[in-house]
Amino acid sequence: MKVIKKAKGNLFIVVIAVAYIALFMINPSVGAASVHNSFYYIKEMVLIMPVVFVLTALLDLWVPREKIVKYLGKDAKSKGAILSLVLGSISAGPIYAAFPLCAMLHKKGASVRNLVIILSAWAVIKVPMLLNELKFLGFAFMAVRWALTVMAILMFSWLAAKIVKDSDLPVSKEKGSGLSINKSACLGCSLCAEKYPELFEMQNRKVCLKTINTAVEHEKLMHVINACPVKAIAFSGDE
Amino acid sequence: MDVLTLAMWIGTAIFLLFSFVKDKRKTRQALKMAFGMGKGMLISILSIIFFIGLILTILPPESIAGFVGRQSLLLATVISAAFGTITLIPAFIAFPLVGTLVHAGVGVVPAVAFLTTLTMVGIVTLPLERREFGLKFAAVRNGLSFIFAIIIALVMGVIL
Repeated sequence: MKVIKKAKGNLFIVVIAVAYIALFMINPSVGAASVHNSFYYIKEMVLIMPVVFVLTALLDLWVPREKIVKYLGKDAKSKGAILSLVLGSISAGPIYAAFPLCAMLHKKGASVRNLVIILSAWAVIKVPMLLNELKFLGFAFMAVRWALTVMAILMFSWLAAKIVKDSDLPVSKEKGSGLSINKSACLGCSLCAEKYPELFEMQNRKVCLKTINTAVEHEKLMHVINACPVKAIAFSGDE
Repeated sequence: MDVLTLAMWIGTAIFLLFSFVKDKRKTRQALKMAFGMGKGMLISILSIIFFIGLILTILPPESIAGFVGRQSLLLATVISAAFGTITLIPAFIAFPLVGTLVHAGVGVVPAVAFLTTLTMVGIVTLPLERREFGLKFAAVRNGLSFIFAIIIALVMGVIL
């Protein structure tokens, strides 16, 4: 059972593995060439991945997000737009990791325009990624694409705010009292399991709730919720 | 290791050292987070890399470049952008991949369109986005991002 469940969760990996085994049986030279091609990217990954992840985590922890969030309201004009750009550029994780954070910001009063800016900046103009782009595609390519992308984001976020009104966004539904985890946003960074091992554990590279048999320590839990880089953990109850 | 990669390692090391001097606990937390994120993504990244290796053997970059070159620029750009919306490749694999393709002769314009939609538009993540922000927001954001990705690409073709 466990094997089947694991295979289902990693379907893509299984398919790739089967493809390689089949390839090596039918045409070993093509298989060898594929492995050779893959190794170029593995080498690049090993060289760059530690830097990207460490840099991302450091930026995420050192830039005071709470202070930025204060200026993202509907009255914030150009300042809010620029801060949204900054917030997106320094945050950790792929774009879908930004969804719950942005939903929370909207609840706190961030405008539709700023939401679009944060999501788009989060996706394309992250600092460690720019360095990576510089390396493989050159300075002119990186700089021009960055400038054009920033301009484009500022333009289409304005357009998006004209089309989408605040009332079009769903009102946050009550999730019932207690603890909820947004697994699709979880990056698997395991900070929560590290900080509160009695409550959280990692399963299949995602955070899981342990069955609680002790009372939740409120302060400790709030600490974990704030530490989560993508705000994937929520606790609704008496705050 | 080339100069730039070395510079990135050194820069990050200095940042890390500063961080450590200022706040040990926070730095340890950052390192744990980085390690956790890396570990969480490692297997899926490796499988994507082996997938790319397979595709590039069957379809060498030169023949991809030849195919793209035979299409009209607009069509090639729109197709590349469409490819970008359905693929989920982490950006730091996408850059060396696009680097390979550009050096093999794929035009800058389709390459930029692919890179931009790859990260900004997500068909796969659309249900997640809809759940948080509603269909209208998700559709408008992704739609506008797609159109502007093509505009960015075309303008870049004029500049570079």
